Amino acid sequence: MHRFLTRALIAGCLTAAAALSALPASAEVRVFACEPEWASLAQEVGGGDVTVYSATHGGQDPHHIRARPSLIAQIRRADLLFCSGAELEIGWLPVLMQRGARIGIQPGQPGHLMAAEHVDVLERPAVIDRSLGDVHASGNPHVHVDPRNIRVLASELAARLGAIDPDRADAYQTRLADFHARWDNATAEWDARAEALRGTPLIVQHAYWAYLFDWLGLERVASMERVAGIPPSAPFLQEVLAHSRSTDVKAIIRANYEPTDAAEWLSERSGLPIVELPSTVGSYPEVSDLFSFFSEILTRLEAIPDQSASVPGFRQPTG
Amino acid sequence: MRTIFQALWATGFSFIVACVALQAHAQDAAPTAEELAAEIQAIKQEYEARIQALEGQLEAMSTAPAQPAQPMASPMGRKTATTDNVFNPAIGLVLDARYSTHSADHDFNPAGFQVGHGSERPLEGLALGHPELALSGNVDDKFFGAATIAMDAHPGESVELALEELYVQTLPGAGLPDGARIKAGRALWTFGYLNEIHLHADDFSDRPLPYRAFLHEAFNDDGLELSYVLPTDIYAEVGGGLFRGGDFPFANSESGTSTLSAYGRIGGDFGRNGAWRIGAYMLAGEAHHRSGGAHDHGHGGEEEEHAHEEGEDAHDHDEEMHHDEDEEMHHDHDEEMHHDEDEEMHHDDEHLHAEEEGPFEWANIDAFVDGEFSGDVTMYAVDARLTWAPTGNPREQEMILQGEVFWRVEDGMYSLPGEYDTPSFSDSTSMGFYVQGIYKLNRNFRVGARYARLSPPDIPACVLHEDHCEHDLATPNLDDSVAYAVMADWTNSEFSRIRLQYNREEVHKFVHGPDPDAVLFVEQDDQILVQYIMSLGAHAAHTF
Repeated sequence: MHRFLTRALIAGCLTAAAALSALPASAEVRVFACEPEWASLAQEVGGGDVTVYSATHGGQDPHHIRARPSLIAQIRRADLLFCSGAELEIGWLPVLMQRGARIGIQPGQPGHLMAAEHVDVLERPAVIDRSLGDVHASGNPHVHVDPRNIRVLASELAARLGAIDPDRADAYQTRLADFHARWDNATAEWDARAEALRGTPLIVQHAYWAYLFDWLGLERVASMERVAGIPPSAPFLQEVLAHSRSTDVKAIIRANYEPTDAAEWLSERSGLPIVELPSTVGSYPEVSDLFSFFSEILTRLEAIPDQSASVPGFRQPTG
Repeated sequence: MRTIFQALWATGFSFIVACVALQAHAQDAAPTAEELAAEIQAIKQEYEARIQALEGQLEAMSTAPAQPAQPMASPMGRKTATTDNVFNPAIGLVLDARYSTHSADHDFNPAGFQVGHGSERPLEGLALGHPELALSGNVDDKFFGAATIAMDAHPGESVELALEELYVQTLPGAGLPDGARIKAGRALWTFGYLNEIHLHADDFSDRPLPYRAFLHEAFNDDGLELSYVLPTDIYAEVGGGLFRGGDFPFANSESGTSTLSAYGRIGGDFGRNGAWRIGAYMLAGEAHHRSGGAHDHGHGGEEEEHAHEEGEDAHDHDEEMHHDEDEEMHHDHDEEMHHDEDEEMHHDDEHLHAEEEGPFEWANIDAFVDGEFSGDVTMYAVDARLTWAPTGNPREQEMILQGEVFWRVEDGMYSLPGEYDTPSFSDSTSMGFYVQGIYKLNRNFRVGARYARLSPPDIPACVLHEDHCEHDLATPNLDDSVAYAVMADWTNSEFSRIRLQYNREEVHKFVHGPDPDAVLFVEQDDQILVQYIMSLGAHAAHTF
């Protein structure tokens, strides 16, 4: 009886599975973007020819995501995987790729696009050890915070889409040309605004902003994380505080998804303003695409009051 | 592409510099100035030619049309060093040690359930927990292989190694259709939520009651499993497996392919920051002379048949065999001594009881506790899990609710080894479930609570007729065993965790004694556990 039931169950499952597999695939190219910035770029270049799914939203830390069931379902049907790479998603993407078992998005396939493999990666560590925290052996993965990288990836994306969907390769190239034109205009405008910011000394909470600093020529005086990914410790924060007093620092930079306590502690004692920056598209309602993402970052940096941390009359640390 | 040129240039240039330096050094012996000058001139010319050739090549490369769809072999600008250990498997070692104290003893034997290795309570005092050594890696482009060796370090004794997992699994690209995977070997198979999870990844220090009673921690038989993720918007996965039938609740399969499984799961999101998954599972097979003892894994069969033969001739021998099995079951020598004494006492009592006080008794209660089961076993399970992170960042704050229900149908008979003429027939269902909630307060602290319950099967009583069980008469009023647990743990990084847990177990046990009214009693056990779990090296990503 039980044996019969089991066999019936298995047979039923297999039939259902076969029936569902035989359904026609959707006409659009399905893009699985690990982060919203890549989803946004895929929307720009793919337009109506793609269906874009973003695994994370603008309030999330992309390092730490649960490999939840909906992601397995999405990756199972994806035609193009578009992620930052450089081990940013190492905690959750490999397990999704294994579970989803989608052949076209495996490494080596045109459907496997890792942004960090197509730009110059910064901060590649010389020594790798767990005691140094969440180090990325392949360097800093937050490559999207530089419009020049976005430009490069737009080209790569259009080429990949064309390889996956050759019938509409021309449409992707046309949209790419249109995007590049708008992007170059915007970048020129941002570059002009960036002149005034060049050399501004800042403290960062996490090494999220390496590419932004590289692009704008900002000066990173200190990072509040002694080791990347491990929350700031009190003694180290004291060091950063001492350092901030002896150096000319304008502000503390933190990403919208990061906890506020450490930055507030430092701000309270140093008198430095905290500047919260959007980590990606969708971090705030007004940051709806890559254009507004960069202009919002510039607007927020421009709002830093032009005061120096080393000027006398500062509030002394209490306790 | 820029980086590749830079790397090429850098490599080429340093090679040239090194060659020049070496050559110059070699000529250092005693050459005349003219010879040296001539030599250098020659080298210079030669390398200039080479550089020009290289430049030409580079130019040709840069003007060649880009091939965007070509996959990138490796992150650019990195030299690939091929050394032996590049291809070594990922190695991870889980360090787990604990302090436990309980008010009752080490044995966990709720009435109506065979217990064994994996269901007992943690050792009193300081002891290692469940350390594991895990190796894994891609075999080639089509297969992934993994092995997990669990180390049971009994205090003062040698370490007992158990091959918890050893399997290969197909990689996408092995030629199976999208969404399909096959896993073969020995693994923690898909059955409920926790069964697939390694112990060190549990949210509590011990497995909940139903896992300890029904699966002796986990079902990791030898076999193979096919799973298929459906191409649907909602997550849906189906699968099934074929197993040897050597791991509890199955035993000593004759064909070696006597156990089947099937499952289905669906899951999805709710809101922006919540996720859920529910599943239904079934596991069906046979057991032959299944005792509660440690791992059966095939080799138990011969011993038990041996016992059968001997047992028919001599009752004394039979008793001895019975004790031998106990020895396998209980690794703690002190406990065992205690157990043996008990056993002898109650056997005497029982015989007295049967002979002197009439024909009615709870049939072969011992058989249900210490005996063997032969027959069909079918298990069903339903699980549900729900996670929600207020900001979408499970690292900062998260709530997890999880529950599983198990049913087990045993259609067969229980008998003491050697007493196969007087079996107790069993065709009844036992049930167990647990629900638990975990709340992550911040990056470092979590608290959790768990409630578990175990409903034993009906145990038939019968009329004894010349030492023979005639027919079912009634069933003893067996109540459910329950367990409560609360825990708090501190997590420094994803590689280290320290946990404090309090358990209260109320377990219904049989009493071996002459008074039929006092056949059952409730054992209350209060436990405190302090545990650390750390992992060295590679650390497999956890699934949902």
